Amino acid sequence: MRLKLFRYNPEDREQRYDIFEIESRPGMSVLAALFDVQKKHDDSLAFRYSCRGAVCGTCAMLINKVPRLACRTQVAKLLDGSLEMDLAPYPALEVDIDWNPEEEVLVEPLPHLPLIRDLVVDMEPFFAFYRAVRPVFKPEGEAPARERLMDRDAVSALEAYTNCILCGACFGACPVDAKNPDYYGPAALAKLYRFHIDPREAGDGSRLELANTPEGWWACEFHTNCMRVCPKRVPPNIAIGKARRELSEQGREPER
Amino acid sequence: MAGRAEAAVHRHDMVVIGAGLSGLRAAIELSDAGLDTTVISKVLPLRSHSVAAQGGINASLGNVAGEDGAMDSWEAHAYDTVKGSDYLADQDAVEVMCREAPRTVIELEHMGTVFSRLENGYIAQRPFGGAMFPRTCYAADRTGHNILNTLYEQALDREIRFYEEYYTTALVRDGGRCTGCTAIELLTGRVHGFAAKAVLLATGGFGRLYSRSTNALINTGDGVALALCAGVPLKDMEFIQFHPTTLFGTNILITEGARGEGGRLYNSNNERFMERYAPHSLDLAPRDVVARAIEEEIAAGRGFEGGYVYLDLTHLGADHIRARLPGIRQIAMDFAGIDPITDPIPVQPGQHYSMGGIDVNNRGETRLPGLYAAGECACSSVHGANRLGGNSLLETVAFGKLVARAIVQNTQGLPAPATDAVRSRAASEQERIDVLLGRKTGENLFAIMDDLKDTMFEYFGIFRDERHMKEGISRLERLQERFERVHVKNKSRVFNQALIRLLELEDMLLLAAVLAQSALRRRESRGSHTRTDFPARDDEHFLAHTLAHLRDSAIDLEYEPVRLGMFEPTEREY
Repeated sequence: MRLKLFRYNPEDREQRYDIFEIESRPGMSVLAALFDVQKKHDDSLAFRYSCRGAVCGTCAMLINKVPRLACRTQVAKLLDGSLEMDLAPYPALEVDIDWNPEEEVLVEPLPHLPLIRDLVVDMEPFFAFYRAVRPVFKPEGEAPARERLMDRDAVSALEAYTNCILCGACFGACPVDAKNPDYYGPAALAKLYRFHIDPREAGDGSRLELANTPEGWWACEFHTNCMRVCPKRVPPNIAIGKARRELSEQGREPER
Repeated sequence: MAGRAEAAVHRHDMVVIGAGLSGLRAAIELSDAGLDTTVISKVLPLRSHSVAAQGGINASLGNVAGEDGAMDSWEAHAYDTVKGSDYLADQDAVEVMCREAPRTVIELEHMGTVFSRLENGYIAQRPFGGAMFPRTCYAADRTGHNILNTLYEQALDREIRFYEEYYTTALVRDGGRCTGCTAIELLTGRVHGFAAKAVLLATGGFGRLYSRSTNALINTGDGVALALCAGVPLKDMEFIQFHPTTLFGTNILITEGARGEGGRLYNSNNERFMERYAPHSLDLAPRDVVARAIEEEIAAGRGFEGGYVYLDLTHLGADHIRARLPGIRQIAMDFAGIDPITDPIPVQPGQHYSMGGIDVNNRGETRLPGLYAAGECACSSVHGANRLGGNSLLETVAFGKLVARAIVQNTQGLPAPATDAVRSRAASEQERIDVLLGRKTGENLFAIMDDLKDTMFEYFGIFRDERHMKEGISRLERLQERFERVHVKNKSRVFNQALIRLLELEDMLLLAAVLAQSALRRRESRGSHTRTDFPARDDEHFLAHTLAHLRDSAIDLEYEPVRLGMFEPTEREY
């Protein structure tokens, strides 16, 4: 198989695509193919990695025009077409590239974030939105001697959002992030909602206020790319919809 | 290099190296004590290997009664831990950890961790290998992920300064103390100096010395090597835990919780072979016992083609698997293309944990004043020759806090250190890196690394003997010779990962040599260290910790007695 890789050299600001011939192995992931390039062909190829088991969220990149984790994406399944995904369009998907998906795997950096080198992007804008929603537990009342009790159903509801690994795939897949650099993005809003519904907090709705702005809950256009690309099946669009409904029902919509 | 700007030197009260559970928990405690604390990490904090911990964290909360309604206690936890360690653990260290455990878990809950719950709303606990009680608290099978996120949130809330994607290259010694470190910034290739009253190493284990490992690719033992090079001995480096159930093909961890929930192991004759190896504990015997059993089955021709056995969960039912082991199901589907609801999971043993590490006391102090260690990089020793599942998360968080408290006490009234030594070390480290980058030709870095990993798995794996280990040692020596000529083609300063891999490889080779010498000298079988030529435990000679020093570039071994006290060594039966 062939890997068609986006390259960016920050020293001369050159952008190009390189093609590498890779001997594919059964079960080979895109991450393993990238390591093959680094080892055998070009040790300057830059890409992030850590757990290689789809739990740490490091290796999100645009693979065959879909934001995915490189470690979890099998080369063979890309070539046989079984991983094709229809996404609502945004500019990064529309770049005109000569590429044959039956023989080649196209790997590009995660969109909507500044380039550092090759497939490495600066995650800081993504994490700046994460920090902006002040993601820290603020329980109601004094801490008891033992654990606070929780209902199993409440835990299940929370898990849908605590499962987020902050890989940024949703951010790179969001058509709104593509056109509005001030939009918080799906992951930050899902994180905020996770704290909003934590039954151990006061539940006075003050959390929702943190994103009750045109760039927060109200910027989402419900393309649902976020949920479709999420490797952990987190549904930010559902969190955003519920938050908006709650705010609307309480007459708390911001003026626009 | 002419005209180069002088290295930047950053001054903080405390420098923590590593942003996993130990590093973050310590940083929170140091910050709460009013100290200006910074965390240096070679990856973004949430990418630390702690995130991958699945099964849970042990604490004798007693939320679930044991057999006959018996109640768990810290003493029972300590007994299981010491027995599991094959009596190599220091019992006063185990006592500290097990007493601290319930408070540790409750504190995490109070910080916001969403633990799985019992019907009555209390934190759920499940059985784990080698434990008399259901003691392992969990967040489905994503316990590390949930706790790491909680601690990162707490650290951000305290506005702790992070230096992310900085690879630490050296510790600085000045006037008999550790006064800081140097680290290369990936983004620029520049070496920075960090001056501090104390440095805490929380850099994790060195599982990637081995080809088959559950560990993240970043677990290269950097901090352990840093300590050794700074004159601190390493302890019990020969004790490497091989997890019995790693996914065939990628060696991704399949949590012991899968067996805790009722999963069973089968060989290719469809036999529950654990009945023969551990008639009482069966599939939930400790990891060393189960890993050896699987290897023996495979060696006897009762494995499947390629070398694996089956872990069967199908009888647990779809609902139970979806609720308790959703991550395992996803891993099996993503990486092996099978659904555990309908098919057994192909598993084989793989390297999982480093019991040994930087020699520290119960306060996390090394023998170098100002230098501390906590978590998997440290060896206090609470795990001895074999760690129990659920005790590693406990160790990271419990000792992260306790060591931070010791640091606060020890550094009270201490003036800020002079920065001269840090500044000059940063300059010499930059020079060293420039020289490495300047090499035009030489050995391929990645080829040496792959050879190293294969050598370690083949010659210092689950079963060891003198003849093979001596051959392994001469192979390691040849790899070291090749490394002296290693080079990278990439000469860029910006995000040069090949350079970082080269620096990692240097550390890995050093640790491999220490591990190999330590394993060769321990002429007994204990816990994870199985000598086919010395199959029995030998308490007369080896109820002792191995201490490895680096003296004049040579590895020097000595032994120190184990601290007993509560439980006398007896034969382990499961």
